[in-house]
Amino acid sequence: MAEKPVTLSQRNGIAVIRLREAGGHGRLSPDAAWELGRTCERLNWDASARVVILTGCAGAFRFDLEGEEPSAGAPLPRSNKEACGGRAASAVAGLKAPSIAAINGDALDQGLELALACDLRVAAEGARLGFTGVSKGAMPWDGGSQRLPRIVGPARALDMLLTGRLLPAGEAHAIGLVNRVAAPDDLQQAVQRLAEEIAAGAPIASRFVKEAVYKGLDMSLDQGLNLEADLSFLLQTTGDRREGVRAFLENRKPRFVGE
Amino acid sequence: MPAFKTIEYDKKGGIAHVRLDRPSVHNAYDTAMRDDVFQAMEAARDDGEVRVVVISGKGRSFCAGADLTEFGSAPSVTAAREARWGRDVWGLFLSMDKPLLAAVHGHCVGSGLEMAMLCDLRVAAGNALFAMPEARLGLMPAAGGSQTLPRSLGASKGLDLLLTGRRVDATEALALGLVSRVVPESRLSAEAESLAESLAALDPPAVAAVKKAMRHGSGMSLAQGLTLEARLSLRLAAEQGRAPSTPSHQIEGRFP
Repeated sequence: MAEKPVTLSQRNGIAVIRLREAGGHGRLSPDAAWELGRTCERLNWDASARVVILTGCAGAFRFDLEGEEPSAGAPLPRSNKEACGGRAASAVAGLKAPSIAAINGDALDQGLELALACDLRVAAEGARLGFTGVSKGAMPWDGGSQRLPRIVGPARALDMLLTGRLLPAGEAHAIGLVNRVAAPDDLQQAVQRLAEEIAAGAPIASRFVKEAVYKGLDMSLDQGLNLEADLSFLLQTTGDRREGVRAFLENRKPRFVGE
Repeated sequence: MPAFKTIEYDKKGGIAHVRLDRPSVHNAYDTAMRDDVFQAMEAARDDGEVRVVVISGKGRSFCAGADLTEFGSAPSVTAAREARWGRDVWGLFLSMDKPLLAAVHGHCVGSGLEMAMLCDLRVAAGNALFAMPEARLGLMPAAGGSQTLPRSLGASKGLDLLLTGRRVDATEALALGLVSRVVPESRLSAEAESLAESLAALDPPAVAAVKKAMRHGSGMSLAQGLTLEARLSLRLAAEQGRAPSTPSHQIEGRFP
């Protein structure tokens, strides 16, 4: 039996989703996308998942359009499972817990779209990021044309989309496309450290912050401020908030339980 | 002008200064300070002589965040919510027609950073330290931080600070876009003063119009924002008694 395309491991509040598919397929296979969607959904019901890391085996973020690219003449998807190959990134963006993409190889096309759907991105030195599709007559179809400009601004996004240029990790960091860069050997550790930093916070607070940020950006500032205020009052009913304040005043580390 | 307990307020030559003044606790923000800041900002708003407001902190820091010793003292969550909107100090910041300038040094953390982000410009001393530690403490921002940071820095850089709570020094704050200038600590008040003077020299109705266009336009579609801008520029020209610089078709939102 073939190895599962998506695997999940969880330890100390940190969930790691690993894409086992190597690159060159043009896109995530429907099986892998389906599994990824199910995995993300499962994590949304799992209060113990405080942070999610998305990564792959070497080069797994690479889904360049060499192979079976979707074309106008392609038959319509016959099933939900087949259709979800095109919206794998939505599942990742739908994660309620904070997410980190560990970019261990080139993140191209759908690979980059998956990384853009994470909240934070850490790239290995030597990794390159870009969209190669437009130069081949295709366009992003898993959120790239929407998420990229929201992260780096429209001018830089169009530069990447229209030229197809691959950005080295350092340049990606300079324009805010990735949040941290690490030596390839240190990548895993750097991501783990970042995940632990976030996992040390209160899980409900982190989820509320994420919700306030993304929903707020789709609203006017006044509406966003109302949402933030209401979530912060809702948060006042949690035991973790009382624990956090008590721990601060007692000058000790808080013990958050996610309630 | 009432006597303030937690801030200092004065004005000179069109520049009003609000100085947070609880230096023994790094100017931690409590309800008394909220009431004082609210009154001072109202005074600055209503005072025709005031053209710009500078907010700074006395002692070693700008503001180390909310005073956590007060947390949990509200009789209920619903009462806390009533109080929040009963005196909407942050809404008052955003509604000001006059430019607000934050001059920050030392700790600029949590509510302190949020207060600075509600100002129009931020100048930082080289020793300034920034952080949003709320989620690490089981809290979340409640002075607009989850809205203002992502709007200034983008969602990802904003979430980086909001989720990790990590400390950022002045150099990184400049690179991230948290502040627009960094100056040596000894020069902070002089630099802030000279920036405030240049803002005070501007035509107040023009400043008010630009602020309105930015504040309301950013939440609109581009087409709506352009119409708003055209309308504001026309009204400004009328106020100033000069011919409008905007072609009429643009104002009416149609093709020439």
